[in-house]
Amino acid sequence: MLAVGDSTRLEIIFHTKRYKSKITKRPSIQTNEGPPNKHVQIISQVTDRPDSTYPIIIQPYKLDLSQFSEKVIKKKKFMITNASDQKLEISLISMPDDLFKIKLPKSIKPGKSAKGELVLRSEAYGDSFEKSITIEVVGVKDKEATRFSIPVKRSLHVAKITSPQKPGSEKKKTP
Amino acid sequence: MLLFKRMKLVFCAAGLALLWVASALSAPRLTMPETAFDFGYVPQNATVSHVFWLYSTGDDTLKILSIKTG
Repeated sequence: MLAVGDSTRLEIIFHTKRYKSKITKRPSIQTNEGPPNKHVQIISQVTDRPDSTYPIIIQPYKLDLSQFSEKVIKKKKFMITNASDQKLEISLISMPDDLFKIKLPKSIKPGKSAKGELVLRSEAYGDSFEKSITIEVVGVKDKEATRFSIPVKRSLHVAKITSPQKPGSEKKKTP
Repeated sequence: MLLFKRMKLVFCAAGLALLWVASALSAPRLTMPETAFDFGYVPQNATVSHVFWLYSTGDDTLKILSIKTG
């Protein structure tokens, strides 16, 4: 229920599975406003060759911030390679600001690579999630825009720390 | 005195009528500034997500009854 003037977020989560083409999904929202239902639409170009995309190649193409020990993995670096013959300008389109920050190169010259960095916010140290970052690259010559989404995953595999037993609380062994 | 009573009755009736019209005309309204999102290239076997914002911009409470995957 949304009171007049209120707002809420609707998160659409899409698993790409073994798709290998352009995929469009159109979830519908039914409200007491009445028919017709409203829709949101997501479009993606699922690729089985993420290591040879064009005009950029992102390595690694998935970022994993999963934690297997007490040490928090706070940062992940990735490399963006310009595989085209023109300078590319890079901009951030979408990402969950509450979980992490991102550093992106503003532009990359043809044939060159540049580093990007994802930094986990301290508020998200205790969280497990599967999110993504969407960036857009625009060729300075042809002005053609291409989007890329980088999946970002974090799962916590740290064993729960059990509190030590209080003295005298041990059970006595019966002879 | 009688005129005053009649006027009071007329004003009450008009007020009630206005309330009825207002409630009959009030309607919920869903507004979405963004209705489509392009992820671009996405690798296989991965999960991506995007947040759309829903706003209640009518003059009655908006109820989200169901969301069906497309």
